[in-house]
Amino acid sequence: MPSITVFTAKQIRTMNPSAPLATAVAIRDGQILEVGTLETMRPWLDTFPHQIDTRFADQVITPGFIDPHLHPSLGALLLQCHFITAVDWRLPGGEVAERVHGHENYLRRLQTIHQSQESGEPLLTWGYHKIWHGEMNRAILDQISSERPIIIWQRSYHEMFVNTAALRWLAIDEDEADRHSQVDISQGRFFEVGKAVLMNKLNSFMQEPARYKSGLSKVKAAIHQGGHTTVGDMGFDPEQQLEHYRDVLETDDTPFRVCLLGRVLVSNSSVDDEIERIMKFPEMSTRHLHFTDRIKLFCDGGYFAELMQVLPPGFIDGHEGEWMTSPEQLQALSRAAWHRGLNIHVHCTGDLGVELALDILEKLQWERPRFDHRFTIEHFGMSTPEQCERIAALGAQVSANAYYVHELGDAYWHHSVGFERASQMSRLGTLAKLGVRTALHSDFTMAPAEPLNSAWVAVNRLSLSGAVMSPEECLNIDQAMRAVTIDAAYMLGLENEIGSIRAGKRADFTVLASDPYETPTMELKDIPVVATVFEGEVHWIER
Amino acid sequence: MNAHIPTTLLSGYLGAGKTTLINRILEAEHGLQVAVLVNDFGAINIDARFIKNASDQTISLTNGCVCCSIADDLGAALDQQTARDNPPDHIVIEASGVAEPARIANYASGWPGLQLNSLITLIDAETVQERARDKFVGRVVTRQIEAADLLIVNKLDLINCAQLRRLEEWLHPLASEITVLKTIHAAVEPRLLLGVAPVHASAHQLNGTEEAHGLKAISWEPNGPINLGRLKSAIQFMPPSIHRLKGMVIDDVTGIAYSVQVVARRREFSKVEMGEPDLVGATAGNGQIVAIGVDNADLAELRHTLNASIAANLSVP
Repeated sequence: MPSITVFTAKQIRTMNPSAPLATAVAIRDGQILEVGTLETMRPWLDTFPHQIDTRFADQVITPGFIDPHLHPSLGALLLQCHFITAVDWRLPGGEVAERVHGHENYLRRLQTIHQSQESGEPLLTWGYHKIWHGEMNRAILDQISSERPIIIWQRSYHEMFVNTAALRWLAIDEDEADRHSQVDISQGRFFEVGKAVLMNKLNSFMQEPARYKSGLSKVKAAIHQGGHTTVGDMGFDPEQQLEHYRDVLETDDTPFRVCLLGRVLVSNSSVDDEIERIMKFPEMSTRHLHFTDRIKLFCDGGYFAELMQVLPPGFIDGHEGEWMTSPEQLQALSRAAWHRGLNIHVHCTGDLGVELALDILEKLQWERPRFDHRFTIEHFGMSTPEQCERIAALGAQVSANAYYVHELGDAYWHHSVGFERASQMSRLGTLAKLGVRTALHSDFTMAPAEPLNSAWVAVNRLSLSGAVMSPEECLNIDQAMRAVTIDAAYMLGLENEIGSIRAGKRADFTVLASDPYETPTMELKDIPVVATVFEGEVHWIER
Repeated sequence: MNAHIPTTLLSGYLGAGKTTLINRILEAEHGLQVAVLVNDFGAINIDARFIKNASDQTISLTNGCVCCSIADDLGAALDQQTARDNPPDHIVIEASGVAEPARIANYASGWPGLQLNSLITLIDAETVQERARDKFVGRVVTRQIEAADLLIVNKLDLINCAQLRRLEEWLHPLASEITVLKTIHAAVEPRLLLGVAPVHASAHQLNGTEEAHGLKAISWEPNGPINLGRLKSAIQFMPPSIHRLKGMVIDDVTGIAYSVQVVARRREFSKVEMGEPDLVGATAGNGQIVAIGVDNADLAELRHTLNASIAANLSVP
């Protein structure tokens, strides 16, 4: 029998309300034996050989962080780009892409990257935004290089700029592309749907196995760096990705597990066949890749793309959101999953999207009442207070991307829906008062994969300009910490295995330099993550 | 790249009859190789006798048509068609039932290698008004009607005369400038939708349903080159009862041949390159224009307007 290891710490935040504080945790073979003090765990230590590991004696241990909704495969594409952004981004490997403000500074950074790269290798960069970085066009990029393809991916993903070399490299027929109303070839600009003209060709480059796997390795580093020991991949396609995931993530050095939800594809088969296919998913599980038979469905459009469905009075500019699935089909899929007893996750971004999901849930509850059904609203951008009451009444739960408040708060206030509704996006305080179980996620690459950053947004609700967006909807520190640990575990149905530190659970920990409960809330996101422990093994985080 | 593949966008809410219409387009003997890109691949149900081979994403028919699954990536599906060794003569895109027509039209219009010809919306005569009041999909159903170049009111057999009258009254403000066809079982002549039938033939080859709604055609053959500017202004404001106009003319100034295409509110003039097949089958040196509509008086007026565009030094036939 393997011996017992005891980690001691300045403070252990167990997230178990029955015993929230401790200073020592004993583990064996990846499992927690007891948490408490060296004194209380004497019966174990007197019975078995053990070692006391004091490496974290000056630090704070929490349950391993859980992000129940991110997308490693999107990250694998984005992390092939150089980050030139208006805010600091911590990159995999500990490096920080320092923020760049101003047109000249932007071009200088681009020039530096250009000169450091091997010739012939395309230069891909993400993070450009006109507000911070000024005008961008093909001529400006041609001045940087007439030889090297340069591709600028705008921060919100809706716009791209390329130079002449990139057009040549991607074999874009300029006259043909220019016919498209959302392509301006003279400016090298491809936006909204027009971006697809470029992306189709660029994708095959970025999806080359070696390139994709190198991107996925960076995602792996980013997930570790954020302090996660479990993440949920909400929308996985085994046919496209399983082989790469196994190569990169099913290795001994991967310090976390990925809980995978299959992407529902109904265009080629019947609803019942599709549900049957997903119910077989768990058979594929391995140590790091934990397949589930939970169902991920899509209601309304993307939040960053302003395609959420919004209740009257709608958007200020009068544009319309979109449905990703028709209400009839969403209901048919939900019903099929509900009657088989499966857990349903629905991507809902606008308040009309939330309304549809709740209407469907109400019908299903009428047809066949279920307790503890874990129907989950994913993202939860806009909502009404009355919908929160309904969420509570129908027994649903929420996995929220609170980062919207920070990054989009000002923009949606000034340009989209006005202050009242923009300031009340991510209505988490109301959910907490109603006792609705709520988790925080990054939906990475939509937000940084850093649970402490998500918690910082939920607790402070600061927009980019520094405005406080509806202080009534702030979470307190305990609610926010639960939302990235035990309540996040509930979202994935893993609450009996992970999410808190108690006897019998997996020995998954996150080690912090200071105690989030004792840190000024404004500094929450800056607490250094020192290491993680995954199933008993220590994985240091380089800084 | 000059020969852009004419493309038709087929819109309409779930249950309006899109799949039935697609099956008709695929199985009809129109002599064209049509590629139909569909959302709901599982629902396509083609008579096995017509299928040459089928895979997960594509069905090839013995008449040269293909049906492909869009599978969440319309751009890739379009590129796949334009990249074929033997590209299709026409592409039909089935929009998903909840697709914003303007957004999907943005995809197709100006996509490399494509030219968007028309946006056709089908509606279910029985349920459309109720759908248009629905709190979730009401707005998208309404916009699908408003965005149409051609509106097909399907499932007429499910409503009575009084209901039809109420439907027409309701549709009027939404679709006052749109050509409307009424039908059952989506029984619309595919060649008419694709705009590929020799039009004077199509007017009397139409099956009973359309004939009952009085589609008529004229053919206009100028006896010499025309003034392009005058032709453009002549067809700028055509009455909505004229659904299609198509043909080829010679510009009197440059002597260059132009193809002319009008589908409802869309107007396209493009140079005809040497060696490109004659678009209307008119081999006559001066070209030909054919128009199809539902009102004889309007068509007669159009002929008159077209005559006025003939270059001044030529006599009117």
